[in-house]
Amino acid sequence: MIERVLLLAENRYARLILVGLMVLSLQTTVFNDMRPFGVCLQVMVLLAASAGLARGSDVGAIAGFIIGLLYDLVLTTPMGLCAAVFAIVGYLAGVGQSLVYEPTWWTRMLLGSIASAIGMILLPIASTVTGATGILNVRVLFVALIVGLFNAVLSVPAERLCRWALTEPAAVR
Amino acid sequence: MDLRGSSVINFTRSAFGVVFRPIESATKVVTRPLGNAWNGITHYNEVVEENNRLNDLVAFSEGSTISAIASVREAQELLSLNGLPTLAGISSCTAQVVGQSPSNFTQTVEINRGSECGLKVGMPVLNAAGMIGKITDVYNKRSVVMLLTDPGYSLAVKVVNIPAPTTTTTAAPGTVVGDTTTTTSTTTTTTLPRVTTTTGIPGFVPGVTIATSSTLAPLPGEVTVPVGDVGPNQPGKSTSSEITVPPGLDVPLRETGALEGRGISRTPIVRFIENQPRFGAVRIGSPIISAGGATSLAPPDIVIGSVSRIVNRTGTLGPILEVTLAANLKNLNFVRILLYQPSSERVVAP
Repeated sequence: MIERVLLLAENRYARLILVGLMVLSLQTTVFNDMRPFGVCLQVMVLLAASAGLARGSDVGAIAGFIIGLLYDLVLTTPMGLCAAVFAIVGYLAGVGQSLVYEPTWWTRMLLGSIASAIGMILLPIASTVTGATGILNVRVLFVALIVGLFNAVLSVPAERLCRWALTEPAAVR
Repeated sequence: MDLRGSSVINFTRSAFGVVFRPIESATKVVTRPLGNAWNGITHYNEVVEENNRLNDLVAFSEGSTISAIASVREAQELLSLNGLPTLAGISSCTAQVVGQSPSNFTQTVEINRGSECGLKVGMPVLNAAGMIGKITDVYNKRSVVMLLTDPGYSLAVKVVNIPAPTTTTTAAPGTVVGDTTTTTSTTTTTTLPRVTTTTGIPGFVPGVTIATSSTLAPLPGEVTVPVGDVGPNQPGKSTSSEITVPPGLDVPLRETGALEGRGISRTPIVRFIENQPRFGAVRIGSPIISAGGATSLAPPDIVIGSVSRIVNRTGTLGPILEVTLAANLKNLNFVRILLYQPSSERVVAP
């Protein structure tokens, strides 16, 4: 029984959930109050993008889905909406990272920023697809720009956090 | 040694002050952020609390102004129509806003009351200034309120138009048409006929009977005449009577529309206002209040805001009205939830 619990605790996605909960608590408290230019900073989408940057597109898509699902739990949007969008963000970040020859810290910043901005554009599009009206306007681009800029600053530590959380169990031991 | 009033001591102190003041000022400038940080840490909650209290006061006074305008017109209409439904008698629950949505695309706030207080989805939420939204999710001890600015919000509203200055034409009996006297009145004072309401009298049907003053003693200068055989209006004869303006014409004119949110960066709008000649042109500053009705989620006559901009459209399309909300949605603290359900959604007991 304890072995099973330990195995579960060693699972990288279990660690990701714990990390995601921590970041989610920051998202709903500190970053919810910090609204530069009236835009709420989105560190959850950064976490999804960072997962893709750290471990590739496949793991990034799964991690993005899990992170988005956590975010859906605190939003009033349809359940699974953020999960789908963040899965795409994680996948795109992983694909972008694989296309870069000898990635550096600034390429990771750039990719994290672009992936976050894409996520902020995809989110209202997905909301519109699911029936929401009036949210697909010019302000979406402004929100994407601000979120992308601020997530670029935080992308390097976020990528390191995700790299640690998504490490294989054997490597952790 | 310290000789009070000594000119030497005074000169020395003044000289030291001249030298020391710039140093003191520079030190104050350099250490000001440190002091501010310390004050921010130690007195932050007090400042936030006072700020919230003052915001509530400002919102209350702003709402009161608009509410007063609407109330005056409501009172006029009440005098003419002898009674309208009011918010009195609807139970409410007070709650505090504990958070807002972390999303950039939905405008919702979270309050610290839920189903334990009797809240249900769809109930209207107000603060001191006016309506702020409706409840969309209810949990045991918390609820989610969708704000008026959310694109998904829609509500039936009434626009209370300000009556235009009336022009009254009077013609004395027997005078030539060309001698008509035209009087322009710019006031809204209305002289109502003396009425006797018969509330409490057996056999009275509420809302039907408005007895005229025939039972009262005539006022000085007033002549009581039998109906039908004297006076300017007689059967089979010409009606060259005085043209009088009925008192009901001065009551505020209303038109219903649909209020729709457009996101946090844009003001809500009111659609489906018809181009009716009687309603006239909508004016900036006209109050917007909830329309109510059997299927509406909000009772009638809740203050929402005032018209801030009018976008006229061609043809039979009515204007689109931009609305300045009475409530400041950026600084919400205490709110009140009306435990109101429209009659169409009430569960009928078996």
